[in-house]
Amino acid sequence: MAAGLAAASVVLITLVIGVRGIAAMRTTSDFLVASRRVTPLLNAAAVSGEYLSAASFLGVAGLVLKDGVGALWYPVGFAAGYIAMLVLVAAPMRRSGALTVPDFAEARLASPRLRKLTAVVVLVIAGLYLVPQFRTAGLVLSVVSTTPYWVGVVLAGTAVATTLALGGMRAATYVQAFQFCLKLVLFIVPAIWLVLTAGTSVRDAAVEPTEYTHFPHDTPVTFRVDVTLDVTDPVTAFTQEGAPVALSEGTHHMPADSTLVFPEGARVPEVGGISQPGGPAWERPLLNVAGAGYPLLGTLAVLIATTLGTMGLPHVIMRFHTSPDGRAARRTAAITVALLSVFYLFPAVYGVLGSVLVPDLYLAGATDTAVVALPMQVDTGWQGTLFTALLTGGAFAAFLATSLGLLLAASGAVAHDLAPAGLGRLRVTVVALASVVVCLALFAKHLDAGVLVTWAFTVAASTFSPMLVLGIWWPRLTAAGAVSGVLAGLLASSGAIAVTLFGPGISGWQAILLAQPAPWTVPLAFLTMVLVSLRGRPPAWSMPAMLRLHLAEDRSASRQDRSLTVRRTR
Amino acid sequence: MNRTPSGKRVAVMSPQTRLARSRHRLRGQWRMPRLDPGDTDRALRAYLRQRRRGAVALTATAVLLLGLAVLLALAPALTEVRLFGVRVSWLLLAVLPYPVMVGLAWWQLRRAEAAEDDPADHRTGRADGHIGRAAAAGADR
Repeated sequence: MAAGLAAASVVLITLVIGVRGIAAMRTTSDFLVASRRVTPLLNAAAVSGEYLSAASFLGVAGLVLKDGVGALWYPVGFAAGYIAMLVLVAAPMRRSGALTVPDFAEARLASPRLRKLTAVVVLVIAGLYLVPQFRTAGLVLSVVSTTPYWVGVVLAGTAVATTLALGGMRAATYVQAFQFCLKLVLFIVPAIWLVLTAGTSVRDAAVEPTEYTHFPHDTPVTFRVDVTLDVTDPVTAFTQEGAPVALSEGTHHMPADSTLVFPEGARVPEVGGISQPGGPAWERPLLNVAGAGYPLLGTLAVLIATTLGTMGLPHVIMRFHTSPDGRAARRTAAITVALLSVFYLFPAVYGVLGSVLVPDLYLAGATDTAVVALPMQVDTGWQGTLFTALLTGGAFAAFLATSLGLLLAASGAVAHDLAPAGLGRLRVTVVALASVVVCLALFAKHLDAGVLVTWAFTVAASTFSPMLVLGIWWPRLTAAGAVSGVLAGLLASSGAIAVTLFGPGISGWQAILLAQPAPWTVPLAFLTMVLVSLRGRPPAWSMPAMLRLHLAEDRSASRQDRSLTVRRTR
Repeated sequence: MNRTPSGKRVAVMSPQTRLARSRHRLRGQWRMPRLDPGDTDRALRAYLRQRRRGAVALTATAVLLLGLAVLLALAPALTEVRLFGVRVSWLLLAVLPYPVMVGLAWWQLRRAEAAEDDPADHRTGRADGHIGRAAAAGADR
């Protein structure tokens, strides 16, 4: 209940900020000047606040519990993305004056066609990124209180859509920077408390895991999604009312929202294709994508997607515009690496503690709730309740911060790039898009947040990343080349994801290349862009168009608040 | 709401909101990018220098991350070795990459800024050499 209140209060505060703006901001002399004097540190905190989503707050620890220590490659890639951003994109993107990737497409290549195509890609990326946010909000609410899953999803969607439709997120640089500090504290303090309170035996078990083969005590398992159990030793479990349920050897289908209590000492049933927490495969610090083996290929696939995908995330790239000039944008990226690095030291703590304290969550299909489930395992008194509430609040802060930015980016893409005359009103678009995402999230309960988000990164890495990198560093890129490369990357990556979701089961290395297609879709997009561009001729202004992205602003001029901006007139 | 010195009320909002609401005002005729001859030389030198330095930093990052993955794949014995009671292979993945990446980012930032600070590049003419700031008002506000 307290956790529900914590979530409600975070939602309410966001609503209030959205509707009223912050009182403190209204009294400062001139926020608009301030926004162009945002220091790199403040902006980096805002970037991190926007970036740390439910996937980072809950998803990574959940994946560690489910897939093993190798899942820690995800946050490594998430942080490494900002090195790529620092080297390749930050300063030139700021100097282009473009605020979004569709803007950049038109500014660098003068192609309205490419602008529309990139707006479609923004929608795909935002969709893949938003669905897990809403899903995780619903799942967490259903675990900490007793509301059904759909209620949480609808509530989350309503909160985000209302906030945006009523006023956007005002004074967002400060809000997002504050959100980052909030998330950092709400993530680190409970982690330290958990480690200190858990006791020596749990700490020892966490660093020396044993395979989860037998239930150490009577364990109730509430299946959050449809789960197929593979029973090797016949066992008699009980329903919550105490009626015995005999599970014979073989597979048993468990419907969602049913609960079984497994007796102490019984052998843990297996869940198809997932290694048991604590087993030898679980301990290996490499990724086993799609249960297919080939750990190096799986790790590489996730690294490429997360590192290169970061450059093309529509809600993040817009933040760099708040920097006064290219130099400050570059500093922002560098500081972001440091801020994220602090945060990403801690998912591992939740993951390994979860494998000891709540390993049954992997049976329930609810590993994403491990972070919020942990405090009650350590302390059932007020402390446990308090820390559950803190973590739930942090998870909602993470979910809201990312969702607001993404939904606004997606609505902007529809209302201004795709259908400038048609859908017109931004508010209508926001509500319509939020409804679509809520509907999608209702059917996505069984998909892990970390996996879905990585798909968003994969699409970004296969479309925007080649377009930005070649647009900024290769003068010969033509509009036709960019269009065909983005199209090839979009079709290939979303096609592979669709096959994974709806297609036949495939095993071996082909399964990895379908589940995490970045290792071939990214080179495909780059190659298509280069080859098609080489067949055509870049316009005469192509070279100056590229070079001006690398021209440092005159620093005495930028101190007077001037900056290079897009070559467009009103 | 906020007031500019002239007393006009201005909505205070995030760059995203500002952008989403004002982009339709920004759309206009696309103008061909132009560079002064002096700026072209300066930009070309900056571009080549940044490209060289950037390539080195990216290679270093790739070698670090891929090297770590290969090391963990080829040396499963690292899982048996303990440091402070924790498996070395876990520490290598959960802790080591972050300080190294922060170091790399810092190093590359220094080099990129040093490349920009080359005195040979400093503009000799007047400070107002902007390529185009016609839309500055719309984009920044």
